Amino acid sequence: MSSRGHLQPWLAFLGLFAAVALPLDAADPARLLSREGAAGWSIILLLALATYAAVKAERSAVTAILLAVAAHAGAWYALEILPSVAGHTGPGFWALLFTSWLLAWRLVSQLAAIKPRGGLGGFLLKLVVPLIFGIWVLIFWEVIVVAFQVPRVLIPPPSAVWAKLTSSIPILAADFRQTFLKAVIAGYAIGCGAGFLVAILVDRIPFLQRGLLPVGNLVSALPIIGIAPIMVMWFGFDWPSKAAVVVVATFFPMLVNTVTGLAASQPMQRDLMRTYAASYWQSLFKLRLPEALPFIFNALKINSTLALIAAIVAEFFGTPIVGMGFRISTEVGRMNIDMVWAEIAVAALAGSVFYGVIALIERASTFWHPSFRT
Amino acid sequence: MKKLMIGALAVAAGLMTSVSAQAADPLTLQLKWVTQAQFAGYYVAKEKGFYEEEGLDVTIKPGGPDIAPEQVIAGGGADVITTWMPAALASREKGVPLVNIAQPYKKSGMMLTCRKDTGIKSPDDFKGKTLGVWFYGNEYPFLAWMAKLGLSTEGGPNGVTVLKQGFNVDPLIQKQADCISTMTYNEFGQVLDAGIPESELIVFKYEDQGVATLEDGLYVMEDKLKDPAFVDKMAKFVRASMKGWAYARDNTEEAAKIVLDNDETGAQTEAHQKFMMGEVNKLTEGTSGALAEADYKRTVQTLLAAGGEAPVITKEPTGAWTHTVTDAAGLK
Repeated sequence: MSSRGHLQPWLAFLGLFAAVALPLDAADPARLLSREGAAGWSIILLLALATYAAVKAERSAVTAILLAVAAHAGAWYALEILPSVAGHTGPGFWALLFTSWLLAWRLVSQLAAIKPRGGLGGFLLKLVVPLIFGIWVLIFWEVIVVAFQVPRVLIPPPSAVWAKLTSSIPILAADFRQTFLKAVIAGYAIGCGAGFLVAILVDRIPFLQRGLLPVGNLVSALPIIGIAPIMVMWFGFDWPSKAAVVVVATFFPMLVNTVTGLAASQPMQRDLMRTYAASYWQSLFKLRLPEALPFIFNALKINSTLALIAAIVAEFFGTPIVGMGFRISTEVGRMNIDMVWAEIAVAALAGSVFYGVIALIERASTFWHPSFRT
Repeated sequence: MKKLMIGALAVAAGLMTSVSAQAADPLTLQLKWVTQAQFAGYYVAKEKGFYEEEGLDVTIKPGGPDIAPEQVIAGGGADVITTWMPAALASREKGVPLVNIAQPYKKSGMMLTCRKDTGIKSPDDFKGKTLGVWFYGNEYPFLAWMAKLGLSTEGGPNGVTVLKQGFNVDPLIQKQADCISTMTYNEFGQVLDAGIPESELIVFKYEDQGVATLEDGLYVMEDKLKDPAFVDKMAKFVRASMKGWAYARDNTEEAAKIVLDNDETGAQTEAHQKFMMGEVNKLTEGTSGALAEADYKRTVQTLLAAGGEAPVITKEPTGAWTHTVTDAAGLK
C-alpha cells in the first residue's frame, strides 16, 4: 500500500464534506446539495457509503460495485445540474465532481491491482479499466468547457459532438464510404501489395537491392502535401487520386519491412534447406516468408493508420463534395467544429478497428511466434 | 551613489514621459488571405504613416488557406479582421458575435469563369456541368446562386457537379472542370497568364447575376464595442485605412510596390500585383467606408434565399453591423 493509496479515500472524505456544506451555485449561495430533494440525498448517501468502504480499504466485489455506482452517480448528477450553473459554478459543485473522481480513481486502482486472468472475466477487466479512464476524460472535458463557457468554435463539449454525430449519420456514412471504403482500401491493397512484390524482386535480383532500395527511400521522403495536388492533376478529383497518395505512403514501410524480414532466417536454417536441395522458391515459401511474417504484419499495422491519415490529408487538395478530409476542412471554415470532431471520432474509430483486424489476423497466422506464447 | 540614483530616476522619468507622449496604441488586424494587393489599403496606411498619425501601432497578420479569421478573433488573436460577409454572418449564428464596422469594398470581385468550348452561354447551361468552387467559408455565395437558379449541387443530369477547388486554376486549364471560381483581381489573371485568351472564356460576375455578397469588410467582436475607448481606437483605424485605400486608388503602381515590399513569402510578382491593384481599385471605388444598408440587405436576402440542405444562415441576423465606428471617424 503506497501512502497515496491511503490518501485518496481521506481526500474523498473531505471532498464529500465540502460537497455537502458548500453551495453548488456561486450565484445562489442557498443552493446546497442537501436541498436538492431526493436525488441530492441519494447522491450524498451513495458517496458516503462508497467513501466509507474506500476508507476501510476493503478489497471486495461489494466495495468495487459501490465505488462504481457512487462515482458515476455523482458524476451524472454533476452533469445534470451543470447547465443550470454554467458560468457560475460554486465550490460545492467542484467538490462533488472531485469526490466522484477520487472514488473512480480508487476503483480503477483496485481493478488494476487484480491479477490478470484468462477467459471472459479477464477480458472484461482489461476492457473496463481504460473504459472508466476514457469516460472520465470526457466528463472533465464536458464540465470544463461548459462551466467556463469556452466558445464552441474553439472546442465543443463532447455532448454536442455526440448530438451532431447521431444526427448526421447519413453524411458521415457517405464520407466514410468515399474515403475509407474506396480510397483507403484500394490504396492500401495496391501499396502493400506492390511493396511486397518489389521486396521479393529485390531479394531475388541482387543488383536491384543496390539500385532500387535507395529510390524506395526517396519515395518514403515525399511529403503528402507535395504529391497530393499532383495526384489530383493526374487522376482527377475523385477517389483514385487519394488512393494514389495512399499507395505512395504505404509502399515504402512494406518494402523495407519485407526486405528485413526476408533476411531474418538463421544461416543454419538456410543451410538445412540447401541440404534438402530446396529451390529458391521452396525455401522462400517454406522458410523465409513464414520467418518474415512478423515483419510483414508490422508493416501492415503501421500502414493501416498511415493509409487513413494520407487519404484524409490528400482530400484537403481538391475533392468532390464528399469525403472525410473534405468535410473536416470545409466545416472548420463554416465554424461547425462539432461536425469536425464527429468526423475525427469516426476516423479514430475506423483506424482503430482497421488496426485491430490486422492485429487479429496476425495473431492467428503467427501463433508460433515467441511474443504470443502465454 | 545617491546622485547616481537620482540621475537614474530622472532619466527613467524622462523616458517614461517621452514614451507616454508617443505611446502608439497597439492593434492587430488579421487578413483573410495572404499578403497581396487585395489588402493594399492597410499596407499603404501602415507604410505611409497614416496609422502613426492617428497614434496607432498596427500589426498586420497575413492569412492563408488554413486560416479562418473568424476563429482567430474568437480565440483573441486579433482585434479586427477582414472577411466576407456570408462567413461573418454564418459565424455570428454559430455564436461568434461579429459586427461589421466598416465596408471598404463596395463591389464583389467574385465570378465563375468558364471555357467557351463547353457550350455554356448563360447560367441556364450549367445543368450537368462540373463547377469548381472554393470552400472553407467561401462557398456561401455560390450555394446562394445555385439555389436561386434552382440547381441541385448533388450532381446528376439536372444538377451541377461541384468540385472542391484548390486555390489555383489548374482544373480549368486541364479541363477537369467546365467552370471555376475566380476573383476578378486574382485567379482570372492567372487563367490569362496560363495562356487561355479572353476570347475563349466566358465569365459570370456575381454582381451581374444579382447574387453578389459583400466582401472584405472589417469586423470586430460585439462585446468590445461597448467600450468607448475601443470604438475610438477603431474609428482611428478605419479613418486611416480608408485614407490608405484612397491613396492606393490614386497611385496604383506605388501601392503595388508597397504590397510587394511587405510580402515576406516572396511569392508575389510585380506584374500580377499591378494587375490586382488595378482590379481591386475598381471594387473599392464609391464608398466612404460606411456600410450601405441596401448592400447589406441584398447580401442577407441572397443568403436567406440559399436555404437548401445546409443553409448559410437560417434567420435574419440582428445587430450584425453598426455605423458607430464610421460615424465616430467622420465617414459618411
